[in-house]
Amino acid sequence: MKLNQIGIRRLLRTSSALVIAGLLLEIVSLLWFHPLSFVLFAFVAASLIGLGVLVYLASLVFASAPPADNRN
Amino acid sequence: MIGILICQIVLSIVLASIFLIRPSLTSATGWKIVAFIGLGVLPALCLVGGMNTHVQRSEQTRFCVSCHVMIPYGQSLYVDDPNHIPAQHFQNHRVPADMACYSCHADYTIYGPLNDKMQGLKRIYLQYVSTPPDPAAIRIAGGFKNAQCLHCHMGARSFEENPVHAAVMDSLKSNQLSCLSSGCHDTAHDIANLSHEKFWKPVE
Repeated sequence: MKLNQIGIRRLLRTSSALVIAGLLLEIVSLLWFHPLSFVLFAFVAASLIGLGVLVYLASLVFASAPPADNRN
Repeated sequence: MIGILICQIVLSIVLASIFLIRPSLTSATGWKIVAFIGLGVLPALCLVGGMNTHVQRSEQTRFCVSCHVMIPYGQSLYVDDPNHIPAQHFQNHRVPADMACYSCHADYTIYGPLNDKMQGLKRIYLQYVSTPPDPAAIRIAGGFKNAQCLHCHMGARSFEENPVHAAVMDSLKSNQLSCLSSGCHDTAHDIANLSHEKFWKPVE
């Protein structure tokens, strides 16, 4: 197994975990009718989801990068 | 609406769970597309939908009065006295009853709702981190602007044909004379004297 594949899989796992945690918190914030639910969504859930998406995008960049031994 | 959003979130969680358990699936082209949808597109849509739902929810009367310091303000909407401007508007549905607070307290400019959210976050900070204000001591930053009233009343026949209003129309438009001036509509959320008031009970 190539080393960068292990890295990509780890990034995908991290991305999935962040997205799932953020989405679960979003569900809690939607079912909880309280001013703090907005704070929970805007500052915690949205940050986790955003970070998860960013990590996923980073994994795409990592996957498309040529292997180190092929460069020049 | 919220049901559709929750279904979308659950679908996104299911897709993300697949890649949490078996990230190696993304080596196949088809699964790459599924990963792009499950970890990129759907979570982004869930974010937009969630923000939209929370913003709409924060415009509801019951959301405003769910905050502890706003409870007496919510009670003041039921004062049985036609001189109480907010109560009169709320009870006679001159503003949508489920959006009563927002109808009169949203600044009708492009950044109005955003400013309201920032003010709301400041209030949450005061409530949970700093010292909560005394409900009776709460004042609107910069004072209540006539534009909030004129947004609905301007152009209304009963308002413009009223000789008192007509005489001071320019001052009202330029905000030099407040609608809440003494002798005019000066009773708004009289929280300090709420215990002496009679309350209207809506028919269930």
